[in-house]
Amino acid sequence: MTGAPVVFVVDDDPSVRSSLKRLIGTVGLQVESFESADTFLQRKLPDAPSCLVLDVRLHGLSGLDFQRELAARKIRIPIVFITGHGDIPMTVKAMKAGAVEFLTKPFRDQDLLDAVRIALERDHARHEQEKELTDLQQRFNSLTPREQEVISMAVSGMLNKQIADQLGTAENTVKVHRSRAMEKMHAQSFAELVRMIEKLKGPSERAS
Amino acid sequence: MQRKSEASGYAAAGNLTDRGANLNGKVVCPPPLFANGLCGYRCLQKMTSETHGAKRSSEPLDLQALIETIPALVVCVLADGSAEFANRAWQEYTGRPLQQLTGSSSWHSTIHPNDLAKFLHDSTVGLMPGKSVDTEARLRRADGQYRWFSIRKTLAVSRTQGREPSLRTLIACEDIEERKEEESARRFSEKQYRLVVETASDAVISVNDSSTILFANSATMRVFGYAPAELIGKPLTILMPEFLRKLHEAGFKRYLATGRRHINWQGTELTGLHKDGQEFPVEVSFGELTKDGHQIFTGFIRDISERKQAEEIQKQAQKAIQTAQAELARVSRLTTMGELAASIAHEVNQPLTAVNNNSNACLRLLANQNLQPDVLRQALEEIVADGTRASAIIARIRAFIKKAPVEKNSLDVNEVIGEVLAMAGHGFEENRIVLKSELAQALPPLLGDRVQLQQVLLNLIMNGIEAMSTVTDRPRLLWVQSRIDESGDVLIEVRDSGTGLGLEGDRVFTPFFTTKANGMGMGLSISRSLIEGHGGRLRATPNSPHGAVFSFTLPVGAGRPS
Repeated sequence: MTGAPVVFVVDDDPSVRSSLKRLIGTVGLQVESFESADTFLQRKLPDAPSCLVLDVRLHGLSGLDFQRELAARKIRIPIVFITGHGDIPMTVKAMKAGAVEFLTKPFRDQDLLDAVRIALERDHARHEQEKELTDLQQRFNSLTPREQEVISMAVSGMLNKQIADQLGTAENTVKVHRSRAMEKMHAQSFAELVRMIEKLKGPSERAS
Repeated sequence: MQRKSEASGYAAAGNLTDRGANLNGKVVCPPPLFANGLCGYRCLQKMTSETHGAKRSSEPLDLQALIETIPALVVCVLADGSAEFANRAWQEYTGRPLQQLTGSSSWHSTIHPNDLAKFLHDSTVGLMPGKSVDTEARLRRADGQYRWFSIRKTLAVSRTQGREPSLRTLIACEDIEERKEEESARRFSEKQYRLVVETASDAVISVNDSSTILFANSATMRVFGYAPAELIGKPLTILMPEFLRKLHEAGFKRYLATGRRHINWQGTELTGLHKDGQEFPVEVSFGELTKDGHQIFTGFIRDISERKQAEEIQKQAQKAIQTAQAELARVSRLTTMGELAASIAHEVNQPLTAVNNNSNACLRLLANQNLQPDVLRQALEEIVADGTRASAIIARIRAFIKKAPVEKNSLDVNEVIGEVLAMAGHGFEENRIVLKSELAQALPPLLGDRVQLQQVLLNLIMNGIEAMSTVTDRPRLLWVQSRIDESGDVLIEVRDSGTGLGLEGDRVFTPFFTTKANGMGMGLSISRSLIEGHGGRLRATPNSPHGAVFSFTLPVGAGRPS
């Protein structure tokens, strides 16, 4: 996570687009605006926290359709919806699909800026998580196959002796593999190592 | 010579017919030769009177010559069955000269084989000297055709002086073929009438001039509950409720006395009384016939309970429709204002949002001491532009409400279409829509409000795009066409291959009617008003095989500056 946060504005009304860009710019955020969902999709997302301020009523692909499209493409960018006249079913649909906020035009500037801030924080947190996971994965990948094998068994609760028996090696050798793996994974304690491995396994495996 | 003797013989046969008491040789009036008595009877009367005359004038009468002149076929048969005489009519008709009738009863071969037995039976039973019997049989004509004849057979005893009394059979045949045909036609027509009356679903009742029922058909049972036999001889008033009886009697009497009709004889609605005491509405039509100086009235009486009920239901339904329409009109008047307000809010929201955002941005920049003149100026300029835009929208909506004249300039329709297609461009790409535009060259310039026409066209095109967004099984085609129509107006057509209008048709122009999930139902309603404001017409028709066609006309002449 290196770059400064970016706010993307997608609205087909040039006046609204321009004014949003200016308003969000006053709090020091970088803003990029697009007239359609399509033009936005052509832009590669930055390695920085970002969020989307999206008009529900876009010509062509509607805001809600666009939200689905992003989900289908696994682009997990937080969305702040703005609309000329939102109704409750539309709002519920958007929020259920993970929208951060649903604002009706004309909205209070502070409401929009708060929503943008929350969206960026959420995206930042997500980025941090993803980054941590990437780091962990990289560290785990740096272990030798035998080290990976040993700590996987250790994390599942087996004693060094049992591991040695199973692998047909000496208990001391197992101890050496374990301490090297701890070192490479930057784990201060065995408990931390367990948490790291759990994270790597991902939510689905943890649940089972 | 031969002829003469026959004639005298025949005269004897004619004159000496036995009449019981007058057997003393006196000439008596014989029974008529023919059943109908006409020709033959008159003929014999003549013969008789002439015979008397002849006696007076002592000039012999040539009876045979007379018989030869009558059109009837006459044969005289002797006791042995051989024909003694056959007149010319007979010989010409049968094509057999007398010489061929010599054998016993050989003349019988003239009778149709199927009629012979009946003839023999009829003509022998009850035949006594001096008596006649009548029967009918078909006789064979020379060409083999058979025709019906009425045949009178008379047994005559001749008592010529100085001779033994002898028996002769006189056969006189009159052609009744045509009468038979007429009779059969009449019988058929009578049958037909009876069939009509009996199978009619209406009751058919005849009464005499004292209003007594003479006839009732079988439908009377269904209509009034009475079997026809129960009604014969009863007064017609039995079929009327109490309150109508006096009226009927008085009216009937008055009519018989004056001949003036006081009610309509064709389709008068009255009240009938069923046998079970129920009153029910009937429609009565009747006519009058005179028979032997007496008037007979025949009426057709139809039970119209069901029709009355249907009429009543229809009346109620009509009333309900009227009520619903009034309610709808009231509701739509109420909601028009509300929806119009929503429409205004939507249109004005965009510039208002921009103004809000820019103003807030300026305030924040000022609060942060971030005073870059360029940034502030640009924001303020946009605020002014959006303010102007918002008021222009409001002015247009106000103009729309007031139906005030629009701001018209000379414009090229194709140019307007081009601008709108450019605006909608990304909509086509995004939705994978194939655009086909066919714009007629050299269209006359029109007077119109460019922005309004753009709005209408954009609205129609966007509707078309939306209508095709769910179409996957066929190409998504949007045609935009301009041309001069038959009446010389400019016609612009937007045609799509989308889901179509279904049964909605013209309803799409009704305010607040929408087929879209998120539609306001205002677009087409406003579009139509805008086009009508230009003196044109906006129409929706189904496209074949899929989709819809929205077309509008703009008059060329009407909008031209004078």
